Amino acid sequence: MAASLGFKGDLLAAIPGLRAFAMSLSQNADRADDLVQETLVKAWDKQSSFQPGTNLKAWLFTILRNEFYSQMRKRGREVQDSDGLLTARLAVHPSQPGRLDLDDFRKALEQLPEDQREAIILIGASGFSYEEAADICGCAVGTIKSRVSRARNRLQEILDISGEADYGPDAIAAQVMGSTVS
Amino acid sequence: MTRQTSGVSNAGPIHRRDGEPLGANSEIGRKLKQYYDDLVSDDVPDRFAQLLSQLEEAEPAQQKD
Repeated sequence: MAASLGFKGDLLAAIPGLRAFAMSLSQNADRADDLVQETLVKAWDKQSSFQPGTNLKAWLFTILRNEFYSQMRKRGREVQDSDGLLTARLAVHPSQPGRLDLDDFRKALEQLPEDQREAIILIGASGFSYEEAADICGCAVGTIKSRVSRARNRLQEILDISGEADYGPDAIAAQVMGSTVS
Repeated sequence: MTRQTSGVSNAGPIHRRDGEPLGANSEIGRKLKQYYDDLVSDDVPDRFAQLLSQLEEAEPAQQKD
């Protein structure tokens, strides 16, 4: 069965990307690997429903994402409440202005709501188009665009980056940070 | 770790006009890639390859007609 070897091989090749996406979503290494494992099992079971020639990576990301949200629902709001909302107001300030540290960035990313985080990851890092990301998330292309845009603005705000966008949130950010212009 | 006093003159000299919000030239875009590439290049535990082999033994992939 050459086809099945191919499928297994394709799944193997997709694992690093799946783990990165799972990690981005869950922000937890153990949970991420559980998600990947669950995704592989589901993908294997459902492989007859995958249409060869279509985007396997997008198909797998969709499965993983569904699994993530279904686990989230089972766990209730635990994830959001403990990791998201409480820290959402804490700004991360780059230790060296102008040189954004990767850890600072990671912390900032953690503070984004899941829908914004996944959108900016899919578009800005996983290499999907807006259309593909919309398919994966089961929403409209415009929704993805607006989530990416909000995620980016929020990251800039948290990281106190200014001067990057000509329509940027600098004015708003300055207010939020409490630095008043006298 | 001093906090940068973000005042009026904080606009910085660089004002890029990227067409796309996450262009390769934006700091956010670069960090995002760096963050993600870091994760992608992480070593994959053996358990996943083992899992796939187990799945294959238990239930060989269905052949498409």
